[in-house]
Amino acid sequence: MRFASTFRFLGRAFAVNVKAVLEYRVNFFLQVFGMMLNNAAFAVFWKVLIDRTGGVGGYGFTDIMFVWAVSSTSFGLAHVVAGNIRSISRMVREGELDVYLLQPRDVWLNVVCSRTVVSAWGDFAYGFIVLALMPGVGLGRWLVFLAIIPAAALVFAAAFSAAETLAFWLGDSQGISGALQEFLLSFSLYPETIFEPGMRWIFYTLVPSAFVAYVPLAAWRSLDWGAVGVVWAAALAWLIITRALFRAGLKRYESGNKMGARI
Amino acid sequence: MSVIETRGLSRTFESRVRPRGFAASLKSLVKPERRVVNAVRGIDLEVERGEVLAFLGPNGAGKSTTIKMLTGILHPSGGTARVLGLDPARDRMKLAMGIGTVFGQKSQLWYHLPASDSFRLLGAVYELDDATLARRTAELVERFALAPYLETPVRKLSLGERVRCEIAASLLHKPEILFLDEPTIGLDVVAKREVRVLLDELRREDGVTIFLTSHDIGDIEKVCKRAVIIHHGTVVVDESMKELKHRALRRKRVGVKWAGPADSSLPGLEPIKRTEDAAKYDVDTTKHRLEDVISALAARGELVDLTVEDEPLEDIIAAIFASRSEEEAHVAAGARL
Repeated sequence: MRFASTFRFLGRAFAVNVKAVLEYRVNFFLQVFGMMLNNAAFAVFWKVLIDRTGGVGGYGFTDIMFVWAVSSTSFGLAHVVAGNIRSISRMVREGELDVYLLQPRDVWLNVVCSRTVVSAWGDFAYGFIVLALMPGVGLGRWLVFLAIIPAAALVFAAAFSAAETLAFWLGDSQGISGALQEFLLSFSLYPETIFEPGMRWIFYTLVPSAFVAYVPLAAWRSLDWGAVGVVWAAALAWLIITRALFRAGLKRYESGNKMGARI
Repeated sequence: MSVIETRGLSRTFESRVRPRGFAASLKSLVKPERRVVNAVRGIDLEVERGEVLAFLGPNGAGKSTTIKMLTGILHPSGGTARVLGLDPARDRMKLAMGIGTVFGQKSQLWYHLPASDSFRLLGAVYELDDATLARRTAELVERFALAPYLETPVRKLSLGERVRCEIAASLLHKPEILFLDEPTIGLDVVAKREVRVLLDELRREDGVTIFLTSHDIGDIEKVCKRAVIIHHGTVVVDESMKELKHRALRRKRVGVKWAGPADSSLPGLEPIKRTEDAAKYDVDTTKHRLEDVISALAARGELVDLTVEDEPLEDIIAAIFASRSEEEAHVAAGARL
């Protein structure tokens, strides 16, 4: 019952968020297409590079494009549904959690799902377009892609939130959380093998790029559903860690008197 | 039956002391100096079901911190709080179903969307099924006369219209207690009056317990039945409004204007304002008989005007607010009351 109620609430929150951004339609479409164009520029760069080198770190052009597709769409999905994942630090610092604490809902879920990021809709769509344009992608590969996207989005949402949650202890954690988020995103867009073997363990722990790029690529290449399961397991583990961190941090929340509106 | 009960409720905040000078700043990087601020210090409070309570105090007295502890936003540093029989810090979600909140400075409505959209979302937040939400929305739209602007984006509403929508939104789930923190801040006289009428209706017709903080004496006089004044984080006055007003009657403000220059000095009574042919006195009627004062003034010269007014409630509260320490606040409260 509570589960159904949570889904109904999340559905309504999403509908309200979408309606709010569509109040300014031109801005919405400009940002969405702008982001897709931005991502496409990188595809051109990779095409030129791989045509000249024959491959980077064992990755061919389709591998790179898949990594971009899965990273972009899952990153986009995380920000489309849970647009506040990178605003938690500011909200904690400025005492903006009050409204959420007054409602009978899980605070973390309520906070992150109360906004959608317009440009992320472009990221979300980009992965689908890339895959649709890629030759030889059969039904099996599409299914692997679709099964991985929600899990990888959860990894992004949970890992970004966890970094932002440091604000409960550090006060202003935007510097460190911003750096962690940049690491996660940047490492997700390049082949794993170009990095030193000694540092790859980081991608499976602190900065979980492996679960939004490398493991999904392994699953996609050999239609390995076991690897899909690994991504889901990592997503659930990150979710548990983030929620525990947020709950512990909430006890240290000090509120504030800044005037505010829900936008 | 008490719906709010606190015992020794306290909250401290720790803040870093900002050092002065470059050397001190460097030293504070290694060994920061911290200062503990006691925002709320041992508040004991009981509020009965259906009561309308004014929770007053100057800026920084601890009003908002107390409300935030009672609603589960902040965890207390000491003491206990029970609201609707629940511990707000531990049972936040359960408690949220039974309370409504209107924070004048923080909106729960989506700024770019009509209030009706926020109502639909709040319906899902409070687990109202579609039929209940539609019925409840219709009731509130009628009571708060929201129909003309229910579908207008909140950003285009006047402040008064927005506050009406805010209060309606906070009542969707039929809360037993309504916490209002400065609900009339920035409103014009007409909008203030409308909000007060609505709050009074809620008390009379629905028996909602109202916990109101406001700097507006009009709100307090028109809506509340009991006043609790806190200062320096502790309760200095806890009186029914009737008692507060009745005690205020002990002090009269007497104004006099003579036909020409007159001696305004009276034995044991100094004027608070004087010119050569006029004066104003604050008369404590427990010490001076009003009749004697008026006779003495008449004896000073030919009277052209004489006024006797109750001391404004605002002045009494302001004197308590102006005290610089807890002891002074208690003394001011005792002396005034």
